[in-house]
Amino acid sequence: MEKKGALEISFGWLFAIIAGIVIIFLAIYLSSKLINVQQTTISAETGQQIGILLDPLETSFESAQTTSITIPTETRINNICDPSGTFGEQYIQLDQESFNKWIKTNINVGFLNKYLFSERQVQGKKFYIFSKPFNFPFKIADLMYITSSDVRYCFFNSPDEITTEISQLNQSNLIVGNCSVGDIKICFGDSTCDINVDFNSNSVDKNGTSVYFGGADESALMYAAIFSDKNVYECQVKRLMSRLNEISSLYVDKELLTEKKGCDNNAGADLSELSSLARELNNSGDLEIVKMKADVVDGDNNARMCLLW
Amino acid sequence: MVSKIGQLKIQEMIFMIVAVALLFVLVGIFFLSINLSNVKQTATSLAEQNSILLVSKVANSPELSCGNAFGTSRTNCIDFDKLISLSKKTEYSDFWGVAKIEVRKILPDEGDKICDDSNYPNCGIVNVLDKNVKILPYSSNFVSLCRKETDGKIIYNKCELAVLLIASEDKTQ
Repeated sequence: MEKKGALEISFGWLFAIIAGIVIIFLAIYLSSKLINVQQTTISAETGQQIGILLDPLETSFESAQTTSITIPTETRINNICDPSGTFGEQYIQLDQESFNKWIKTNINVGFLNKYLFSERQVQGKKFYIFSKPFNFPFKIADLMYITSSDVRYCFFNSPDEITTEISQLNQSNLIVGNCSVGDIKICFGDSTCDINVDFNSNSVDKNGTSVYFGGADESALMYAAIFSDKNVYECQVKRLMSRLNEISSLYVDKELLTEKKGCDNNAGADLSELSSLARELNNSGDLEIVKMKADVVDGDNNARMCLLW
Repeated sequence: MVSKIGQLKIQEMIFMIVAVALLFVLVGIFFLSINLSNVKQTATSLAEQNSILLVSKVANSPELSCGNAFGTSRTNCIDFDKLISLSKKTEYSDFWGVAKIEVRKILPDEGDKICDDSNYPNCGIVNVLDKNVKILPYSSNFVSLCRKETDGKIIYNKCELAVLLIASEDKTQ
């Protein structure tokens, strides 16, 4: 009797099986890559859309504006700030949840003219953004503060103008007075809360570190310090000073042009000094020095026959 | 004889596999090209959206706005003196994320005279930014273009009607 093997496969079959496995494996691999690319594209598009939606938040005479953005999937907004270059750059990078797994993307959507203040990473589906103009002494930019609707900030013992402003914003995650457990408590003139604001030293203590604020309306940078991670805050302050430097040079040029029409030329030297102080700023601790010069420049402008701003 | 039939079958198999692989590749390329075209269309639509939203707000940005320099605060008021200085600055080429920003005087009509130091303020067009790339249709907004003027005795504010035009780069090609 002829003895046969347990499994007899011809070469043709063996070849077809191996080739089939390779083809199926390649198809699965390429499909998964394609899905990743698709998710990255969606994240990049959403990042760009967020940036574009921030355009209407630029203020004209308003003291503050607020809006909200809802994204269909749970999202982490990574706030990346780069201080290098003429204006530095604001990057938004989104990670989105898909099938209980976070899809990380390496695509950074960049903006030169936006200043977002938030924690390094903000997570949620609904995000609140409110904006305030930053003047130092002339308008430099609109600052935008991003918070997640999942995180509540409670302002305790705040000065009247802050209480009024927060109440008027009507933003549901910003509470004044009645704090609940789980809220991030912000105290004024007290040092026992999660975030402590001291108007004597113009500083905000948060997570054991301090940052400083200043400006013609100090509250713009104060909110920035409250809602931001220290690194994001310091980087954005540097970017703001870079923009101050460029805008100052526009006013120096304007003064030369208006001088031909008979206007005074009293501000040029101080503007140049302000510009160089802003360029040399190392961290928010130097804001006080820049503020002193900004006040001098503001005085120069107010004394002019033709106002520069 | 048997081995020749076997060889023929293997050859048939290889041809079949190559054909199937080619089919996969062609379907993949077709799908990718549709995908890429969608991405380009989305990029273009986002760029267009950006210029539409920007045109209504850019006049109030610190580089262009009148502020309180011409009496009370005004919206959609561009400071002509700042504008002419801004048009000479290359640092702002990527600042607004658009390909072209232009301000055209409407009243009085000064024609297509491009503004520079020699003809300012008697000129019709200020090219704030021009990247010289293929652009999408302009988004526009009417603005007041204000400057300080003198008749030799008094200094006064002079505001003219202008249109602000912004266009984004067309990335579809």
